[in-house]
Amino acid sequence: MTTVLSVDALAKTYRSPGRTVEAVRDLTFDIGRGEFVCVVGPSGAGKTTLLRCIAGLMPGTGGSIHLDGTAVTAPPAGMAVVFQEYGRSLFPWLTVRRNVELPLAEKGVPRPARRARVDEALDAVGLSDSGNAHPWQLSGGMQQRVAIARAIAYEPSVLLMDEPFAAVDAQTRAELEDLIRALWHRLGITVLFVTHDIDESVYLGQRVLVLSRSPTEILADLPIDLPAARDQLTTRASPRFTALRAQVYTLIQRAKAGER
Amino acid sequence: MIRRLGLPAVLIGVWWLLSAGSTSFFWPPLSVIARTFPATWTLDPILHDVLPSLARLALGYTIALLAGVTLGVAIGSSATLRACCEPALEFFRAIPPPVLIPVIALFAGYTGWTSKIITIALGCLWPILLNTVDGVRAVDEVLRDTARSYRFGRLAVLRHVVLRGAAPRIVTGARQALSLGVILMVISEMFGADRGLGAAVVQFQRGFAIPQMWTGIILLGLLGVALSALFHLAERRLFAWRSDS
Ligand SMILES: Nc1ncnc2c1ncn2[C@@H]1O[C@H](COP(=O)(O)OP(=O)(O)OP(=O)(O)O)[C@@H](O)[C@H]1O
Ligand SMILES: [Mg+2]
Repeated sequence: MTTVLSVDALAKTYRSPGRTVEAVRDLTFDIGRGEFVCVVGPSGAGKTTLLRCIAGLMPGTGGSIHLDGTAVTAPPAGMAVVFQEYGRSLFPWLTVRRNVELPLAEKGVPRPARRARVDEALDAVGLSDSGNAHPWQLSGGMQQRVAIARAIAYEPSVLLMDEPFAAVDAQTRAELEDLIRALWHRLGITVLFVTHDIDESVYLGQRVLVLSRSPTEILADLPIDLPAARDQLTTRASPRFTALRAQVYTLIQRAKAGER
Repeated sequence: MIRRLGLPAVLIGVWWLLSAGSTSFFWPPLSVIARTFPATWTLDPILHDVLPSLARLALGYTIALLAGVTLGVAIGSSATLRACCEPALEFFRAIPPPVLIPVIALFAGYTGWTSKIITIALGCLWPILLNTVDGVRAVDEVLRDTARSYRFGRLAVLRHVVLRGAAPRIVTGARQALSLGVILMVISEMFGADRGLGAAVVQFQRGFAIPQMWTGIILLGLLGVALSALFHLAERRLFAWRSDS
């Protein structure tokens, strides 16, 4: 497996007058092409910070990040981000369709191809009927699906997601989880998925990175050896799932206690 | 519509009744004013007073809008620029625009169009500029990050994120500026003995043509209503996405 994303000794200290926060101390890990990696850690561990650095939205204060061998200094091509505050990441004055379409237009995708990709993406997230609605007319879960549709229509090679399902109800959440896994399967993209939900991290990924408390280091890099075909009922009920979950749970407890 | 017109209709009725049979020189009956209206505002004053005034208002207002939004976006987008400009902006904002008229006239003359347009533009600039600065600053950070992560160009960010995001505040500023503009349109004509809607009202008053003066005031009021209706229309189009489609 070739390495697509490589994070090397990343550090980030926020500095503002009178306040210095060492959020990330030393993060080093590689992600292979087509991998699905989940990142878990206590609240305030620096997960969003890590993601923003990888997305090129913010420079680290130490270390480096490489995407396909090129140092990330600005938002790189071929990467899409689904933000934690998904509702605020949609353009309220554009319809759902236009929201999904705009990045494609800015990327220079010709109109007919754009149409097809928007249709396909909206269909994939089950929003074919809501294309002409505005985001504020949709429920939270639907808004989140718009943000996901926008990201997949962009056809990124790397998809970053920051606690994307934190604010939706359990039912929707399960549906969205399966949706993301199905899309990942079909599109062969690389996914880095941040969550604070232990079950979710085990259910979704092939690997779970457990972060320590801030200032953050990697506490564990755990392979998830569950079968590729996953199902909300059987997978979650399997003994292996339970064992892995217990393992991550223990790690998080240790992280919260300040171990590193 | 009926609800909107109800109060004005009542007020006109009350005015009509109270002023009926009035013999006061300064408060002629509304019926007299109404009769004077068509005779006062014939084609000649419309062409030579009303339209030039409106043209100056339009020009001054447009200049203020363009300059205010451009400067506002620049200042709102840059913390450095903001730090430099903010004290100066506060200072200039505190100066009532009519005070500037003599100063402007010193450079641009009393009678020509230039000083009047500058007066209107300068007065209208501040509400637009300051509201735009606030609007640009308030554009959602997440939305900016979204545009950045999808690698929008500078122009696309300006068009799709900054201007659209700041639009509500820009419109608020533009509305304040419009009423200010009408006032300044009148005031700017009161100093130079020139033609114009405001100048006409002053001249009627000085010549004790009281009913005519009242028709001028009514015309100004109607103008304000028409402009605000026009503004409302533009606003509705701009914010159509907010109401149910
Ligand atoms: N812009 C900022 N300025 C200063 N400190 C910040 C900033 N953003 C984050 N921090 C600090 O950095 C640390 C990590 O924050 P971050 O948002 O990355 O955590 P997180 O793991 O995403 O948390 P959550 O699970 O609650 O989303 C926190 O202590 C936070 O207070
Ligand atoms: Mg976060």
